[in-house]
Amino acid sequence: KMSNPKYKPARLATLPPTLDPAEYDISPEARKAQAERLAIRSRLKREYLLQYNNPSRHGLIEDPALARWTFARTANVYPNFRPTPKNSLLGAVIGIGPLIFWYYVFKTDRDRKEKLIKEGKLDRRYNISY
Amino acid sequence: MLKIIIPTVMLIPLTWLSKSNMLWINSTMYSLMISMTCLPLMNQFCDNSLNLSMLFFSDSLSTPLLMLTTWLLPLMIIASQHHMAKEPPTRKKLYITMMILLQIFLIMTFSATELIMFYILFEATLVPTLIMITRWGGQTERLNAGIYFLFYTLAGSLPLLVALIYTQTTLGSLNLLLAQYWIDSSTHIWGNSLLWLAYMMAFMVKMPLYGLHLWLPKAHVEAPIAGSMVLAAILLKLGGYGMLRITMMLSPTINFMAYPFMMLSLWGMVMTSSICLRQTDLKSLIAYSSVSHMALVIMAILIQSPWSFMGATALMIAHGLTSSLLFCLANSNYERTHSRTMILARGLQMILPLMAAWWLLASLTNLALPPSINLIGELFVTVSMFSWSNFSIILLGINIIITALYTLYMLIMTQRGKYTYHIHNIKPSFTRENTLMSLHLVPLLLLMISPKIILGTTY
Repeated sequence: KMSNPKYKPARLATLPPTLDPAEYDISPEARKAQAERLAIRSRLKREYLLQYNNPSRHGLIEDPALARWTFARTANVYPNFRPTPKNSLLGAVIGIGPLIFWYYVFKTDRDRKEKLIKEGKLDRRYNISY
Repeated sequence: MLKIIIPTVMLIPLTWLSKSNMLWINSTMYSLMISMTCLPLMNQFCDNSLNLSMLFFSDSLSTPLLMLTTWLLPLMIIASQHHMAKEPPTRKKLYITMMILLQIFLIMTFSATELIMFYILFEATLVPTLIMITRWGGQTERLNAGIYFLFYTLAGSLPLLVALIYTQTTLGSLNLLLAQYWIDSSTHIWGNSLLWLAYMMAFMVKMPLYGLHLWLPKAHVEAPIAGSMVLAAILLKLGGYGMLRITMMLSPTINFMAYPFMMLSLWGMVMTSSICLRQTDLKSLIAYSSVSHMALVIMAILIQSPWSFMGATALMIAHGLTSSLLFCLANSNYERTHSRTMILARGLQMILPLMAAWWLLASLTNLALPPSINLIGELFVTVSMFSWSNFSIILLGINIIITALYTLYMLIMTQRGKYTYHIHNIKPSFTRENTLMSLHLVPLLLLMISPKIILGTTY
């Protein structure tokens, strides 16, 4: 997207937004969204810095967003689950399908071995430990 | 055997009558001495068992597990010192009493001769563990965890009671040593299959088997550190020990009844290892890795070949020590950051280098690095599984790779990388913690020299 061949990003130097021509024709809605995101970011950074530089802080700085994220991932999965036909079908296929598949694989393999043993064709030399 | 049980029982008056500042020292020291008295049990005949009395015996299968149990009690007490520091002395003494009670039940379980006594103590171990999880756990989910733990294990083991009483009335006695000589290889009637199922379900839930493993992540994660240690190290092995004893009595039915459990273990092993790669919670990762390792043990026991029994017993001991060590390491993280999220405590290698050494050794043994005993167990199981059916090597190979993947993932996430900025008051490692880790590692590394003592009855 570089229209200006003189200002290209290098391996250890990314292109700053002021040299990127795409920066200069952004719509006003996108600008507003950028400003809102910047406001959220700076509010969070201010809260963090207030806690970070507080001389009477004795513990960790807790990130409430991280706590919400881990709670949602670990403890809050089932309350947001609703069984749908697609859901249940997927669960049955992935949960029970492989079990049945591997059952048939192993059953045929072992039955084939058993048949070979009964016919005496399998090489069953004596092993001291087995 | 009484020389182990009576001192352990007397540990309870010791805790209640100690002064508060001598409490931890006394209990740790005397439980260490008790674990030393367990060592002479190793001196026994190799093709028979040490029959000590009508009720208790020890053979080369139960002795390593007994050693593990008695070794673990001082470690549990050492590990609990920090999070119990602020409790009133009565509650501290109650906590230690729960641990000692659990220890007594476990010692008697592993050395029981009569299967009914084994069953009663098997159930009795649930009660102190439940109290430890629900009363002293960390999060509010511990109530849910306790309920899952209790009811899964209870529901699984009620058929075992029925089966034991039935065998008692038909066979005449449930003495473990005699029962191996009295089995009758009956024909394949479906009553036999039902009996086999009734016997095995208790241990399958305890191990746990993949489909019935829901209680394990909850219980392990919500338990306090001593609870996690004893759950991962010993209580899972109760299931393995029971299965190893009972399969000697149940032989012919197993050939076709074993298939569903083999499939669940094979596929479950791969599934639980893969879930480990997606965990954010450190203790949950270690809990799922326990399920994966125990699935190997289940498969080994179901195949019933001498090599696989050796692998199963070696794997049980090795996994007990490794898993307990990993939980202690996770707990040392938890005590510093008060959160189990892995990404919160990164780059610890810079901050706590000695602890990083223990993390490294724990991860190396967890991924079954040669020549550790974990490898011996896994290798024996893999080789005997290959002789059971050639295709199993696919799933076993995938599992070994994924085990290495998630163990290294855990190591890299907690140790390497840049540390987080705001964690500026991570206390340096206490000597107590370093002692704890090294006491876990020393048996693990020393057993590399002579693994034959943990290889069980078929060595």
